[in-house]
Amino acid sequence: SFFPAMSTDEKTYMIRPQFHKKFKPMQVKEIIQKCLDDKLTGQKYHVDKASKFTRELADAIKQELKELHWDRYKYIVQVVIGEQRGEGVKMGSRCFWDEDTDNQAFATFSNDSLFATAVAYGVYLY
Amino acid sequence: MDFNDETVFEKEVVLNILKEVTEETLHDQTYNQGKVGQWISDICEKSTKKLVALGKPFKYVVTCVIMQKNGAGMHTCSSCFWDNANDGSASYKSPQDWPLNVVTTCFALAI
Repeated sequence: SFFPAMSTDEKTYMIRPQFHKKFKPMQVKEIIQKCLDDKLTGQKYHVDKASKFTRELADAIKQELKELHWDRYKYIVQVVIGEQRGEGVKMGSRCFWDEDTDNQAFATFSNDSLFATAVAYGVYLY
Repeated sequence: MDFNDETVFEKEVVLNILKEVTEETLHDQTYNQGKVGQWISDICEKSTKKLVALGKPFKYVVTCVIMQKNGAGMHTCSSCFWDNANDGSASYKSPQDWPLNVVTTCFALAI
């Protein structure tokens, strides 16, 4: 793979990403939505499958983010899949980071049988 | 990156913070659509404050999912691309006998 390993001993003195290589929430949102739609359209909730889907989705989204080649970004992808039974559910997050360089994007998918939310955070390494 | 005690992610300490804040906010509460947003804000903000107070050189992301107990199943999973030596995560799940399903997760990324 030609993606350079993140070397933390090299001092690049770049404390900000270049503009065209900044985490772009809208672009990441589209990626996440596409991954969710591709994987879950037409699927029904089933205990074992759901467990497998969460893992596969998290890895797939992370892989897509790596392929954007935004330098020095660390990624966190969290996926929640639940059965659709009319229950109430809420998810939120708070972050302590650098607002200029770090950002997040999320997307949801739902059908009669299940709901899924995926959120991706991009954090820049100084 | 300098390797010293300060940059180590301490899972037990963080887990304890998440546990304390979640239990303090939600003990004896049942699901309430009107309040759930406020609970999540409280849990996330209090956790973040306590984590920052540890004084370690980390950026933090705290997420919280609250679900009504309805017999429905839920799975959560996370996948991270980071520096395994310095970064870490901790996740607290509410006990089975609670009337709510809560999962509070914290990701800490070294600066």
